[in-house]
Amino acid sequence: MPELIIHLGDTTVRQVFSGTPVLDEVLQAAGFSLPHPCGGRGACGKCAVQLSGLVSAPNAAEQRAGTRLSCQAVLLGDAEVTLSQASSDARIETSTAVLDRPLRPLPGKTGAAVDIGTTTIAVNRYDLTTGTRTGTAAALNPQISIAADVMGRIDAALSGKLSLLRQQVTDAVQQLLDASGPSSPDALVVTGNTTMLYLLTGRSPDSLARAPFEADTLFGTTVPLFGGQAYLPPCMNAFVGADITCAVLASGICERDETALLCDIGTNGEMALWRDGILYVTSTAAGPAFEGAGISCGCGSVPGAIDRVALANGQLFSRTIDGAPAVGVCGSGLIDAIAAGLTAGLIDETGAMDDDELPLAPGVALLPRDVRAVQLAKAAIAAGMLTLVETAGAQLSDIASLCIAGGFGSHLNVSSATAIGLIPAELANRVCVLGNAALSGAAQALLDRTCIHALERIAAHSRHVALGGNPRFNEHYIDQMLFGQEE
Amino acid sequence: MDLKEISVQLQAGKAKIVKTLVQQAIDEGIPAQEILEKGLLDGMNEVGEKFKNNEIFVPEVLVAARAMNQGVSLLKPLLQQAGVQATGRVCIGTVQGDLHDIGKNLVKMMMEGKGLEVIDLGTDVSADTFVKTAIEQHCDIICCSALLTTTMSVMGDVVKAAEAAGIRDKVKIMIGGAPVNEAFRAQIDADAYTTDAASAADCAVNFCKAC
Repeated sequence: MPELIIHLGDTTVRQVFSGTPVLDEVLQAAGFSLPHPCGGRGACGKCAVQLSGLVSAPNAAEQRAGTRLSCQAVLLGDAEVTLSQASSDARIETSTAVLDRPLRPLPGKTGAAVDIGTTTIAVNRYDLTTGTRTGTAAALNPQISIAADVMGRIDAALSGKLSLLRQQVTDAVQQLLDASGPSSPDALVVTGNTTMLYLLTGRSPDSLARAPFEADTLFGTTVPLFGGQAYLPPCMNAFVGADITCAVLASGICERDETALLCDIGTNGEMALWRDGILYVTSTAAGPAFEGAGISCGCGSVPGAIDRVALANGQLFSRTIDGAPAVGVCGSGLIDAIAAGLTAGLIDETGAMDDDELPLAPGVALLPRDVRAVQLAKAAIAAGMLTLVETAGAQLSDIASLCIAGGFGSHLNVSSATAIGLIPAELANRVCVLGNAALSGAAQALLDRTCIHALERIAAHSRHVALGGNPRFNEHYIDQMLFGQEE
Repeated sequence: MDLKEISVQLQAGKAKIVKTLVQQAIDEGIPAQEILEKGLLDGMNEVGEKFKNNEIFVPEVLVAARAMNQGVSLLKPLLQQAGVQATGRVCIGTVQGDLHDIGKNLVKMMMEGKGLEVIDLGTDVSADTFVKTAIEQHCDIICCSALLTTTMSVMGDVVKAAEAAGIRDKVKIMIGGAPVNEAFRAQIDADAYTTDAASAADCAVNFCKAC
């Protein structure tokens, strides 16, 4: 039977198939789920891949996109495909901060740090005797095929799909471990949000599904998993998970005697504010706009994606990835475009546009509803930050640093983010970008077991700030719907 | 002054201008009720219609409602002085176990935009609290919102509690939220399910007119 060889970063997977299937079917069979915001119509360019071997000639949609698309290309025989690490949802942040702690690893010769995100899973392998990284691998979380967000997964788990969800994530992590190192790791630190750890351990997420949303376990335990001993760091509550505990560890904010804010911007925005020995934490639903979903011309960070928009002499200039003809706009470009539109006066402070569309490049334009989707998302994040700061009795001027964690934040243009009010303007020059801080924190705990106590302390010092039903949040949410000050 | 200008500015979400214009209208001696109806409610009505027809989106509604609230804050004492009665009285909340209130808040704003008086019970509201409020505050309508499939069943409890308290024939029960639909409404025997905030407000006004 013909075989498809699949590359993603350092990962290589082989998948046999029969007949002449569409590439995407074979990728799915191999456990790779690429995003298809356009429903697999070849319209969005989000599932772009590099493809060679016995395959169909590029069809009209692929010619338009200037790339092979997994929803369009047909396999005729043996072929090889490279899933771009740089293609947004397939672009998974595995870069981690430099470790500067002494080596006091968990017991064993080899280890792995694993971050199970709602959207992506990332693995780093280490030699525990030297502390060097020996491999890395990442993939989309296959549970996306059941539901895109955490609440959807909880619903699915409670309606009989718990064991399937567990199998999916276990298989995916196992594949990444196999791909990134020769043998099972002796020690692992497996982090993720609270729901992801529930599903990984096959625990029913019943307590996460209804008020008072008190998780019946917060982990912070060691269990046998993937052929080794796996430490699951402590979660802070039902919606601020071990990934944030790890990110806080990596940021070091709790080790300093100053007020600092950490924010992981994604479909959910999770935030932690350190002040006077208390870590105030919260989570807010931003929706998928920053991931390009639900945006008319949204796409991943594929060649041709507009990733920067600048204003010069009253005109908008767009830059595309690899300088290719524009196919759409990715998250960072979206925020730039709105910032530029505001400066140019093409979008007013209420979010209204002068024209029916804001052209960015031939064939790519922002529509009014795209601006509205961004307004909702940025208002949720900004209002969450302001409510957290207020609840802690602090003011923005007290905040010494704002740490941005997570994949989206790593590519964000900070000045545009402040221009649209995603980040308070006052904090613009105090921003530091951490990359995948959850994975960094997990790796730190793997290589320095004293960090396990630090993680426990972080979780023990956390205090949850509820935003649902919080009148201050509601006021901020509506105020933050606006872009900047009213005229 | 032309009160239509208030309506237009409200639709554009210009809160500061709306506030200034409302104050101007008050200073010119225009009755508060007229400013409310021909200015603010007229504007909010337009917003509701456009929202229902998918011509505008949630942020515009929120921004317009924010402008309306600024105007209403100036009119409220004057309306009370004049003894103006609201079209009807509604109590609203998210059901027990549910803390997701953005949809509920939108419905509240739309209803206020139709001149209804809305008692906001907030989130995680028990069936008993809904019914107790409806009795004590003489509400015409109870509005229940739920975002979670795990909590929507509480809406059925609200209907039963209203029956048990003997007010089922005096109060209408409206339900809404992402997992709710018409079949569910029929199943629990509530009075109305609406798909969006503007339709909920229209429906509430019709109920109040009928009673």
